[in-house]
Amino acid sequence: MLDALAAQLLLLRKRAATWILLCFWMLVTVVFAYVLPYFAYKGDIRFRARTGGVLLSVMLPHNLVSSLLGGFPAFGGIFVLILAVLAMGSEYTWGTLTPAFTQKASRLKVFFSKVLALAIAIVPFVVMVYLLGYIASMLIALKEGQSTQPPDLWLLVRALAFSWFILAVWASFGVMISVLSKGTSLAIGLGIIYGLVLEGVISAFSRQITLLGYLSKIFLRTNSYSLLSPLGVTFTGEGPGGFSGSTVSATQAAIVLAIEIVVFLAVAAAIVRRRDVTGAS
Amino acid sequence: MNGDINDMKQPMDNFIVETKNLTKRYRPDILAVNGLAMRIRRGEVYGFVGPNGAGKTTTLRMLLGLVRPSAGECTVLGEKPGTPAALARMGTLVETPAFYPYLSGRDNLRVLARLSDTPYSRIDPALEEVELLKRAGHKFKSYSLGMKQRLGMAAALLKDPELLILDEPTNGLDPAGMAEMRRLIRSLGRGERTVMLSSHLMGELEQICDRVGVVKNGSLIAEGSLDDLRHGAQLRLKAEPEARAREVLEKIEGVAGAEPVNGYLVIDASPARAAEINRILVEAGVAVSELGPVKLSLENVFLNLTGEEA
Ligand SMILES: Nc1ncnc2c1ncn2[C@@H]1O[C@H](COP(=O)(O)OP(=O)(O)OP(=O)(O)O)[C@@H](O)[C@H]1O
Ligand SMILES: [Mg+2]
Repeated sequence: MLDALAAQLLLLRKRAATWILLCFWMLVTVVFAYVLPYFAYKGDIRFRARTGGVLLSVMLPHNLVSSLLGGFPAFGGIFVLILAVLAMGSEYTWGTLTPAFTQKASRLKVFFSKVLALAIAIVPFVVMVYLLGYIASMLIALKEGQSTQPPDLWLLVRALAFSWFILAVWASFGVMISVLSKGTSLAIGLGIIYGLVLEGVISAFSRQITLLGYLSKIFLRTNSYSLLSPLGVTFTGEGPGGFSGSTVSATQAAIVLAIEIVVFLAVAAAIVRRRDVTGAS
Repeated sequence: MNGDINDMKQPMDNFIVETKNLTKRYRPDILAVNGLAMRIRRGEVYGFVGPNGAGKTTTLRMLLGLVRPSAGECTVLGEKPGTPAALARMGTLVETPAFYPYLSGRDNLRVLARLSDTPYSRIDPALEEVELLKRAGHKFKSYSLGMKQRLGMAAALLKDPELLILDEPTNGLDPAGMAEMRRLIRSLGRGERTVMLSSHLMGELEQICDRVGVVKNGSLIAEGSLDDLRHGAQLRLKAEPEARAREVLEKIEGVAGAEPVNGYLVIDASPARAAEINRILVEAGVAVSELGPVKLSLENVFLNLTGEEA
């Protein structure tokens, strides 16, 4: 298994798309969590006079978790979904399952080594964002002469773990839809439509229409946000990826998400194991 | 060495590949392989030849466990196809070589080596073998078609396999590359290693293969050494006087034709009747100076075999 894992890590590590996605995701997060708020705080005097104090405190190191966490169910999920679809779906578009499945390792071993490699690959998608966010918040605190008190360690540990967990759900989802669609294009398209549009629209109506309310209870973002709520994050319903649906308890959310990971991977694994491998699609 | 009598005494597992009634239906209306029965002996180079769409690639994919047969069975190296035990001992190249375009040739082989428990130390010799070592560090997507094909060959050799399964290995190669590939395959087929290669060119197999199987519409329609296949159901003879010879020949039951071709008379008759025909001619006062089976060109054999049936 370790050899197969090393092969899959090599595939991810040497792929430019992996690094582009990581850098872009880091950039998006820091720009939205620190750069834009900071310039708003600096530039707009009336703004500063009214709410400046509140705004600035959000950007300080001890508020690291609440500043960053909200990005994971929204954009982070999409970035990782694309990562997973590229990793799995490209095997179909390039026809590389043929050589991969004719070496020695069984199909399931190849599949789960890829899943494991993705689980490892999303660690920097969590850690690097928090690291960069911490640096940004330290710079702001020093520049403004504010407290550089670090975030609560236990809160940070939970935030890192939950962030990884949420990305893992999205990655599993990406793996499943790329196996189902035997490729990348359709899977990325549908994944993004689901993540950015469909779920948001349905969630927005979920209070009016009971049936949609039930449906939204199994949605990835409903549960992701619900899981994060106890960590002191509030979400607004503005912009793409915004969330205004109902929430469930954190425990229920954790269970639903864990079941979803299992279901997504089980469906994908069952198909990978049984389906005929013909040429590139 | 591999005489037929010898073979019959040997145990079944001496067939490296054996299929029985192997059948694949992709969709209700696509019967790709139809009751194929084939046996490949240890150490031979076996050519699997047939026109486009005959079912060659589908058969090879079934031998690799990539495609599930709809009916029938097959064993490869005494194992079920696609099991780690079978795969570990075979090297393969199926259809156009598929690799990760963003990785170098060498990194591509590293990935495969990891999946087959092959030490990295085997990679460079394999690249050397196909003369790709100089470009091994370049990305796969920058390779020409022939280079891609050669990397596919290097991948097939990586495990130093007992059985090589190659699907149209000369695809995309220039004439020099083709000749080189044939030389390589022939040298790989020496000794204990078994090679199965598919092609739609019978002539290509001529200098390489010990035996060939001809496949058409998913079924094996002929199998044997090239010499066996070449000896068609025709005889040619030199006889004097020719007019008298034709007269006599036309009266013999089961003999047809008697057309003069290049100074010979060619008749449709089983080579097994050569002695009988000779006696009849001599008794009728015709002097027979030569009589033997017609050796068909391989392309003609192929066309005869694959063209006749509807
Ligand atoms: N994935 C698939 N789905 C449906 N039909 C297929 C599939 N792959 C092959 N076929 C059909 O099966 C038949 C046999 O195809 P196959 O690729 O095995 O032929 P081949 O002998 O390798 O031909 P060629 O010399 O052109 O490579 C063809 O009719 C083909 O259209
Ligand atoms: Mg083919």
